[in-house]
Amino acid sequence: MNEQNNQKEDGEQKEHDHQWMCDKCHEKLEMSKVRVRYLDGNFEVDLLRCPTCRMVFIGEELALGKMLEIEKGLEDK
Amino acid sequence: MDLEKLLETGERCIHNEPPACMAGCPVHLDVIAFMTEIENGDFKKAYKLMENRIPFARIIGMICDHPCENLCVRGEIDSAVSISDLEKAAIRHGYTASKRLLALPKTKGKVAIVGGGIGGMTAAYELDKKGYQVTLYEKQERLGGRIWSYEGHELVKEVIEEELQIMMKLNIRVKLNTAINQQNLEDIIQDYDAVFLGTGSWEKKMQINPVTFQVENTSLFAGGELEDNRRSMIYAASSGKRAAISIDRYIRKVSLTASREREGAFVTPLKLKTEEVEVVNRVNKTMDVYTGIEAVDEAARCLKCQCIECIKPCSHMKRFNVSPDAYARQINHNERIILGTHYANKMINACTLCGLCKEQCFLDISMKDVIQETRESMVEKNKMPVSAHDFALKDMKFSNSHRFSMFRKQPSKEQSKDSFYYPLISYSKYVQGLYRGTGKTAYLFYPGCQLPASHPDKIGEIYKYLVAHMWEDVGIYLGCCGAPAAWAGRQELMDETIQYIKETWAEMDHPTFILACPSCCSIFKKHLPEINYISLWEVFDKHGLPNNDRITHEHTLNIHDACATRYDQRIHQSIRKIVTSLGYDIQELKYQQDKTKCCGYGGLVYYANREQAKDFIDDRIDESTNDLLVYCAMCKDLFVSSGKRTYHILDLIYGTDQEDAGMKKMPTLSQRHQNRANVKRWLLKEIWGEEEKMDHTKARNYELVISEEVIELMEDRYILFEDIEKVIDSARINKERFHNPADNSYLARLRLENVTYWVRYEESGGKIVVNRVYSHRMEVVEG
Repeated sequence: MNEQNNQKEDGEQKEHDHQWMCDKCHEKLEMSKVRVRYLDGNFEVDLLRCPTCRMVFIGEELALGKMLEIEKGLEDK
Repeated sequence: MDLEKLLETGERCIHNEPPACMAGCPVHLDVIAFMTEIENGDFKKAYKLMENRIPFARIIGMICDHPCENLCVRGEIDSAVSISDLEKAAIRHGYTASKRLLALPKTKGKVAIVGGGIGGMTAAYELDKKGYQVTLYEKQERLGGRIWSYEGHELVKEVIEEELQIMMKLNIRVKLNTAINQQNLEDIIQDYDAVFLGTGSWEKKMQINPVTFQVENTSLFAGGELEDNRRSMIYAASSGKRAAISIDRYIRKVSLTASREREGAFVTPLKLKTEEVEVVNRVNKTMDVYTGIEAVDEAARCLKCQCIECIKPCSHMKRFNVSPDAYARQINHNERIILGTHYANKMINACTLCGLCKEQCFLDISMKDVIQETRESMVEKNKMPVSAHDFALKDMKFSNSHRFSMFRKQPSKEQSKDSFYYPLISYSKYVQGLYRGTGKTAYLFYPGCQLPASHPDKIGEIYKYLVAHMWEDVGIYLGCCGAPAAWAGRQELMDETIQYIKETWAEMDHPTFILACPSCCSIFKKHLPEINYISLWEVFDKHGLPNNDRITHEHTLNIHDACATRYDQRIHQSIRKIVTSLGYDIQELKYQQDKTKCCGYGGLVYYANREQAKDFIDDRIDESTNDLLVYCAMCKDLFVSSGKRTYHILDLIYGTDQEDAGMKKMPTLSQRHQNRANVKRWLLKEIWGEEEKMDHTKARNYELVISEEVIELMEDRYILFEDIEKVIDSARINKERFHNPADNSYLARLRLENVTYWVRYEESGGKIVVNRVYSHRMEVVEG
């Protein structure tokens, strides 16, 4: 039940994130493979990005959720 | 890190040592578990505990000479817990015939037991269990020996017979009416792999090893009264049991002596503080044996002896449910991990390093030192989680940057000559102080970094007071002593900081420092022993309090001593004298002075683990029934943050509106920076007449609006006002931002050192309204 709710919220959040546009290029953001790194971690993940200037969008949920979790995990490695 | 030393320290901890009763019991009945079962009314389980330690528990429990009771700690307070009577109650209310397991095949060897008393029967029972073919020789027509002398007193015939039936149910060959003497003993020794002699006496004197019960180097073993003539029933049972272990090892040809420490009765190293134990008198029996209710009450008198002296007042060890011995093992494991998760990191960074544990410990074990060393080792190995102390270290960097740090000699007579006019010079002690100036800095006022952040308005006043009262030149030095680096285990940074302080001290011609922060005091004491220092509180105490329009609302205060001053009695005394001289009554807290607790800020716990910091704050607030008086800026800020009325001693000395001062909310992290910068600017301008050269309030062409809600987010997420400004400036200049047409808001990001900050905002007219702020450490590779 909880998981379903979370998925729903995630979905809404993602939908919400899609509303953002690059202010410089006036482009809609697109999901792309982006490299992220922290300490010894180096991964490729799907993130929203401006197709022209490649500026990457990180929403609050992602930054304080999954991303923080991975940061903490890497710090304790 | 020396892990052997660490483990040795852990092993010294007596937390897990057995209570005196259990250690002194020759068969080591788990008395605490036994008492707990009785308290819970579970007599069956209590009886099972007895049965697990000894065969014939129903007999021995009734006639045991209970050496445990003489050792009971309660004996020193009122009277020993009636362990023996409670065993009888467990037998009466909890005995059930045990289901014996099927006997194992007897293939391991042949053993003869001579003597069918309690020692011989126990040895026979144990060896049978181990898989030996046992033959028992008894000279009488029945087994039991001395047990029968209790018939009609403690024991009834039926019970003795029933219990002795156990021997018959086993595969033991019992040979009654068979007296053994020295001569036929020799034959028996030839016929068996080993022999146990459990007769009360023997014609020939023997050399019996008190640990192994072996007679010289032979296959003969002897126990009970032959080895110890105290006629103790429980000792006889114990010796039979232990001799059986030796016989098994002897036949298997393994060491008889290895790992046999603490097999019999021993003296426990456990110690207990009993001053606070309430007197509860022994429960009297109304019948021959305790009734169930009586037994429950009597068992409740058991103190369940365990040393928790250091854990009791420590919110940290309580939160992690850990004792020093276990803590040392967890650190050891954490330090040895090469690949895998360092699970103890969180715990290691949640200790306030306050040092109360050592004060509480009978053995002076200092977890503070252990954890400090561990943090240093983690940093050395690059295994310290960056996020734990990053903000605090950046804050320290700020304090030691040009934005706050500076030092100045007292304004010279030449510089101050414009003040030397009548009537100013006749009534201003400050101007008189300037007039006395010699140019040689005898004192250097070092207020630290947090006091100017929390009490920016007091620093200038204090400086003027010092010039007025010290009779020698007083300079000033703003900066951070390095406490955050020390707490974070950053030795290199600490060394650099200390080196800089030393150089400044030398440049100022070796003045005595006047310190106003407890953490500075402890850092100077430990890292700068060559520098003389005196606390501001001692100065106030010695030279008199500043005169001003102080309003005092005399009432009773609890003094919360700063943990960094644990061993500084001079500070404790000065504070108390000042508080008393201001007309307040003092009610001392239970944990005070050398036994004081931490507010939750120490060890950077406030940054590394907010929940843990909150435990410390709440614990101290709970202890205090009056308003608190503190002399550390962070103590005050933390207590007030949880709603406790708390006065910093400067609030009392300089305060005019105390109601307000006692509940004044702590400045935000951004305000702390701002306050420090303002202190520097004010001092330079007002005291030295220097105009500020630095540019820390850049001209903005917009007004930044940040709601209370966002300010709270900033505090929780360690985001500063200036970080937000930088993000917005960068976004506006470079157009690097996202736009949401739905609500016309912007979202911008900027990486500053090792953190990416995100700010969501709206622009309206000349205003920028910040809606959300967050950050992450992970680096996103763009392009």
